[in-house]
This record gives sequence, C-alpha cells and structure tokens, in this order.
Amino acid sequence: MTEPPDIDEELVMFLERDQLVADTSVPVSPAVLGRRVRLGLWALRGFVLVTSAMVIITFVSDLH
Amino acid sequence: MATGEAVLPPLGSEDLARSQDRSRVVDARLSGHRLRLFWLLVGPGILAMLGENDGPSMISYATTGATYGLGFFVPFVIVTFAMAAVCQEMAMRVGAVTHRGYGELVLQRYGKAWGWFGAGDLLFTNLVTLIAEFVAIRVGLAYFHLGPKVAAALGVALVLFTLSGGRYWRWERIVLGLAAFNGLFLVAAILVKPHVGTLVHSLTFTPLPGGSLNTLLLLVASTIGATVTPWMIFFQQSASADKGMTPADVRHGRIDTVTGAVLAAVFGIGALIAGAALATHNGGAINGLAGAGFPAALRRVAGSAVGTVFALGLIEAGAVAILTISASTAYAAGECIGVTHSFNSTWRAAAIFHGANIGVALVAAAVVLIPGAPLLSIALNANVLATVLLPVALVFLLMLANDRELMGRWVNRRARNLVAVAIAAFVTLAGTAYAVDSFLQTIHAIPS
Repeated sequence: MTEPPDIDEELVMFLERDQLVADTSVPVSPAVLGRRVRLGLWALRGFVLVTSAMVIITFVSDLH
Repeated sequence: MATGEAVLPPLGSEDLARSQDRSRVVDARLSGHRLRLFWLLVGPGILAMLGENDGPSMISYATTGATYGLGFFVPFVIVTFAMAAVCQEMAMRVGAVTHRGYGELVLQRYGKAWGWFGAGDLLFTNLVTLIAEFVAIRVGLAYFHLGPKVAAALGVALVLFTLSGGRYWRWERIVLGLAAFNGLFLVAAILVKPHVGTLVHSLTFTPLPGGSLNTLLLLVASTIGATVTPWMIFFQQSASADKGMTPADVRHGRIDTVTGAVLAAVFGIGALIAGAALATHNGGAINGLAGAGFPAALRRVAGSAVGTVFALGLIEAGAVAILTISASTAYAAGECIGVTHSFNSTWRAAAIFHGANIGVALVAAAVVLIPGAPLLSIALNANVLATVLLPVALVFLLMLANDRELMGRWVNRRARNLVAVAIAAFVTLAGTAYAVDSFLQTIHAIPS
C-alpha cells in the first residue's frame, strides 16, 4: 500500500518544475552574443554616457 | 504540472502560496469557467497600465487639454497606449515563459554592468517619480484642506497595508480595487459635458497644437513619457512571474495587457477632456504640479462635483502609482542582489524585497515633508530621467523576447518584431529629442 501524498507535494503539482524557487534561484547562462550585437551594445553604452551627462546636468541645474 | 515524476527539491512558503493560486487557475481552466479564469489571470497588465496613469500623468493630460483643447491629443493618447501594449505584452510573455523577472534576466544573460545600470537608474527614477506621486496626493488632499503630512502618512500606510496580506494574490487584488477608481477621471469628463462633435472631430488628429515644432516635439515626448516607462517593463515581467503565470496563460496575459491599455487610454482621455473644460478659462496657466489649482478651477467652471471627483482621482492615481512603482523597485533590488523577491515570501525570507518596497516609499514621503524642497523641479524632471533608461530597457526587452534559448517557441514572430522595433525606435527618438531639448534649454543654447 502506497502512502498518501503529502499535502504540500500535492499542491505543488500545480506548478511547473521550472517555476519552483529552487529552479528559479539557479542563474541562467550568459548569452553568447554575435559581433553585430556586441557592436550594438557598445553603441548603446555611448548613448547612455552622452544622455546621462545631459540629463544629470539638466536635473541638477533645474534643482537650483 | 511537470513535477510529479521527479524528486521534489525543498519547497518554501513561496512555492506553496503560488501553487495554491495556480490550483484555482487549473480548476477554472478544466471546468471551462471562462469568466473565472479571466478574473484569476488579470492583474499585472491592468496594474502596469493604470499605475502609469499616475498623478503627474493625469495632471499632464489635464494641462494639455487646458492648453490645447482636445484636437490631436485624444487620438495620440490612444496611439501611445497601443505602443505601450506592444511593449508590455513582451514583458508579460518573457515573465510567463521564463518565470523570472526582467532585472535578473538582463543581469544574468547580458552581464552585471547592464543589470546594475538598469536597476540603479530604475531606483533613482522611481524615487523621483514617487516624490511626484506624493505631491499629486498632496494636491488632491489640499482640495479637502488636508496637509502634506496626511499625504505622506497615507502613501506609506497604503504600502504597509498592502504588504500585510503576505501573498501576491492579496496584494494584487487590493491594488486592483484601488486602481478601479482611476475611472473617476472618466466621471469628471462626463460631468463637464464635452461637445460630442468636437470629441469625434479630434479623432482625425486635428487641429494640430499651435506653437513651434519644438513645442510639439516636447508635448509628444512628454505624452509618450506618460505612457511607456521602464518601471512598467520591470514591474509587469516580475509580477507575471510572481503571479505564477505560465506559457498556457499568455493568451489571458495579452487580454489583461490590452484591457489595461484600453482602460488607461479611456481614463487618460477623461483627464484630458476634464482639463479641456478650462481651455477657455486660462486653464493653460495652471501647469505642471504647480497645478494644485486644477480641482479648484474645475469647481469654479464646471461645478463642485467635478472638482471633488478630479481631486479624488488625483489621490487614487498617486496612491496606485506609489504601490506599483515601489513594487517594481523592490523586484529590481531583489533580482539584482540575487535574494528572494516575492510578495509570497515571508518578511524574514525576503527582507531586502520588503525593505526596498517600504524604504523607497518612506524616503519619497520624507522628501515631500522637507520644507522648501524643490518638489516642482524634481517632479518635472522625472520623465527626463527616464529617457536614459527607456531605450536601454526596450533594447534588452527586445533581445529577451527574441532569445530562443530562453523563450523557445514563444520568441517574437517577424511581424511582431517589426512593430516592436519601430515602436522602440520611435520612443527612443522622441525621448532622446526630449532629453537633448531640455539640455539645450538648460545651457541656454536655445530659448526656453
């Protein structure tokens, strides 16, 4: 005779395996990026630097 | 439901709470109760959209209406929410398929630098936006002769109250209940008795607002800024994962997102129409968050009921935004630090998550109480700050939605990608133009 399932285990049947905290706590692997994507991300870095400088100057200036 | 055959890992209270919610979804799906299934699965989309119909946005819509009338902006608000729906659908889908939040996926897939930049910028932008939300509540409460301390206490008390349920489901339902009162702006619009012919005519994008191209660009950018924001992406993806959504729920997630977009557009247009009642009464002079006079001006022009409803609407808009924006901050903090980040977790297990949720609201409330703090400048710059993060957030959202390793068959289709890339390019262009224009005005390179 098999033991009745534990109430917690029965409930957790409603979750997908990769939804469990034990699974989502494991980091996903880093993406392997192609040359074009890497170039695009460098362009994004440039955009962030330039716009950050402009926005910080605007923000600080407007506070005064 | 794929856990049966294997040995289960240790289960926590978060797993159990989520599985209880999922059991109701599975029951509703198996028994064919469509309305119940819809009721169980709506939430993150509506909250993201109505959360973005926040205090500053509604004042911005009313200001636009008071300054320019209805033409152009009524259909433009509809277009911007359609764009927001496309972006938010991707966030929902990535969350439902991967069961992970936006912050952690960017950090793990594309490197710590991008992850921390996103979270850091989000934290700062959210803090500034939260200050603006407390100011909006203050504006609404001032109509009822209540002061800033009441506004600060109300906002923080709401955050504590919604967290006290200890479950994502309870948090979501309380905030959804509050968000329903965003409909007060529609009530205000009906009460001002707009001319139906003018409203219908405005759907043709005419008349265009007067003034220079520069002015039009700023108005367009600020309207987009009131509709598509980084915190919404962080929030909807993380909330979809926290709710326990799966690929089987993507269709309902789409319905949730589109429902939210429609409601937000209707209520936003409601604020625009209410504001337009002041267009012939020097309403354009009541601008920005200095627009503490909006409810009172509406009372004078359209009666006390309109003023009262508009003031209550501002309190609601600020309150719901405080709850959703604080939550997005907490998700981002927990995900990037790599600790438990769920409303389903206990305070002890998710101390950083709950601490960030309360802490960011407390700091914003404290700033509002500082005598002489430059609240107006802070509030007006909230959208400018978001312009740096928004293009980055959209680029990584697109990359995640196209990541076949993560998304499998749920990756963006070609047509969706074309639309999404066009939207991201348009939003980035408008936001960047806004940031550049503000900067050039600051250094007096162009007249302000």
